[in-house]
Amino acid sequence: MVAITEMTNWAVDLIDVRKTYGKAIQALRGVNIQVGRGEIFGLLGPNGAGKSTLVKIMMTVVRPTQALGTILGRPLGHRGKLAATGYLPENHSFPGYLTGAKLLDYYAALSKVPRSVRGPRAGELLERLGLSRWGSTRIDKYSKGMLQRLGIAQALMNEPELVVLDEPTDGLDPVGRRDVRNLLLDLKQRGNTVFLNSHLLSELEMVCDRVSILVNGLVARQGTLSELTERTVEYEITCVSDVASLAGKLLRLGATVAGPVVTLPGHDIAKVNEAVDCLRSANVAIHAITPKRVGLEDILVEAMGGQDAKPSATPPTSPPAARPAGPHGDS
Amino acid sequence: MQLWAIILDGFREALDRKIFWVLIGLSTMIALAMISISFEEDKITFFFGMADAETGRFNPLSALGRSNVVGLVVYFLLDALLAWVGIVLMVVATAGMFPNFLRHGGVDVVLSKPITRSRLFLYKYLAGLVFVFVQAGYFVVMTFLVMGLRWGVWSPGYLLAAPLLVLLFSYIFCISVLVGVKTRSTVAAVLLTVGAWMLSAMVTQAPQMFEVMPSLKNNTRIYTAIRVLSWIPPKTADFPYVAAKWAGAGTSSDVLPMDFAKTPGGPSSDDLRRAKEIELRELEKNPFYSIGSSLLFEAVILLLAMRTFVRRDY
Ligand SMILES: Nc1ncnc2c1ncn2[C@@H]1O[C@H](COP(=O)(O)OP(=O)(O)O)[C@@H](O)[C@H]1O
Ligand SMILES: [Mg+2]
Repeated sequence: MVAITEMTNWAVDLIDVRKTYGKAIQALRGVNIQVGRGEIFGLLGPNGAGKSTLVKIMMTVVRPTQALGTILGRPLGHRGKLAATGYLPENHSFPGYLTGAKLLDYYAALSKVPRSVRGPRAGELLERLGLSRWGSTRIDKYSKGMLQRLGIAQALMNEPELVVLDEPTDGLDPVGRRDVRNLLLDLKQRGNTVFLNSHLLSELEMVCDRVSILVNGLVARQGTLSELTERTVEYEITCVSDVASLAGKLLRLGATVAGPVVTLPGHDIAKVNEAVDCLRSANVAIHAITPKRVGLEDILVEAMGGQDAKPSATPPTSPPAARPAGPHGDS
Repeated sequence: MQLWAIILDGFREALDRKIFWVLIGLSTMIALAMISISFEEDKITFFFGMADAETGRFNPLSALGRSNVVGLVVYFLLDALLAWVGIVLMVVATAGMFPNFLRHGGVDVVLSKPITRSRLFLYKYLAGLVFVFVQAGYFVVMTFLVMGLRWGVWSPGYLLAAPLLVLLFSYIFCISVLVGVKTRSTVAAVLLTVGAWMLSAMVTQAPQMFEVMPSLKNNTRIYTAIRVLSWIPPKTADFPYVAAKWAGAGTSSDVLPMDFAKTPGGPSSDDLRRAKEIELRELEKNPFYSIGSSLLFEAVILLLAMRTFVRRDY
């Protein structure tokens, strides 16, 4: 029974979730994911990794082949907890015959939000998402970005403890993306837990406390973004002129030289300074020093490579992931 | 609250489609056409008296005449028009309900709500029936008022035709829902539903064909098989008899002028007599046998559709 009290500390605690579509498509092959309360959690992975499937299992849209675990401390599919969860599906298309305000009202009624609360809250959310002028316009007149914002408003109508968003910035322009980010941070400030899906690292890195990387239906990496990326950070020193003459000295510091660009792997600031000293003593003018984080592609390639080589050698990198990964299916 | 929300949504969807207003318009036109007709002791006048027809020995204003006026409305408007053309239109109008619901990504949100899938399914189904109830109710109430106000024939039992029509519609709506849930295709739902409807009308009427052709009835094995088979599908063809019975209508053969049988090339008096016998026997049948067995069929089809709906991944 200790296990149960422990589980309730997580907003989301998924254990060995598996899903096989039909007979052959193994979308999830034993996924373990834990999300703390009040966290913004990001699920990252290439298209087809199984992110949406996982979220749909959490939201009872897809029936798992196998799944243990809890959402907000109750078993998956608990109706009281579904009422306390907001969900934005990917590629949604809402009924075009409704107006924005009516859609919010309809979905909130299905979440059992009392009528007296629905009206004011719909107005408030439309306002917060910059749709206040569009509340009484039919949805089939909305642009993609407006639809996405309405989708987010819809997910917040029941003042959820947990908000699950599948690719929320899909179809938004840069301003819209920034607005969503601010909204997520705002939600976190209010004590909500946010579960975010994306195939773009850039959408997650600015807001997420922790990230799991899903590849081929398995969690390949799990941890904070800095934990995941710090090992591979590199610095790039761009000089004004070609520095090939200094290549010998710089090589000793572990740097590589390509024309005016010196690249230092790792995140050793002392080494960077040594390199700068070396360049400056040769009177080379430095144009810029840029810390380079490794892109999603690199992490993914690395994660996928690691998984292909030896499937069990990808231990999760952060404490909450102490649970053993489930046995792997054949790949 | 959830039920109300789903019914309201179904309604908004219906109101958005032209066919809703087309149906209301058709009903209104029929009611207007009825207003233009009036009955006198020995004739029926059309187009506000611009044309008329002698009724011979038949007096529309007598007690028997009044019940036959109700019969006319039941058999020619409710049965011939509403229960066939009207229901085909309503099948068309509602067939897209489940396919659309399942197609647009809105279904994900609805499925994630704190409502079981079976309940969601039943609420959606009810929403479809409410749409038809509004249509049938409008037609029945309008024609009821015309009969009463214009013709002086008040027949409260006639109002029961509205729920009866919904019941009749539900027998075939379940097929439309099953096909819609399985294929997510509106066209398939319409075609297969109308097809199944025709088939069930044929199968349920088959024993009567045998009655008319006594030589076939002698083959008892086939006759028994047909009778058993005819028990399974919904008894859509019973509708006019049940409606007529509840509305207190006379039989249709009373309405036909008696000399009609003597016109050369017309039906023989034997034929007419046999038709009347069948009609009377149908009227004597207990409607609850027909309704009960049809509801059983509906329940089985609905359970199949619900099973598909509940088990599917979206
Ligand atoms: N309803 C479905 N039926 C069959 N296969 C599906 C279904 N949904 C997703 N899949 C398959 O499952 C895999 C994971 O898909 P998905 O969860 O959508 O990934 P992601 O959201 O990470 O892009 C893909 O191979 C996809 O083709
Ligand atoms: Mg996806």
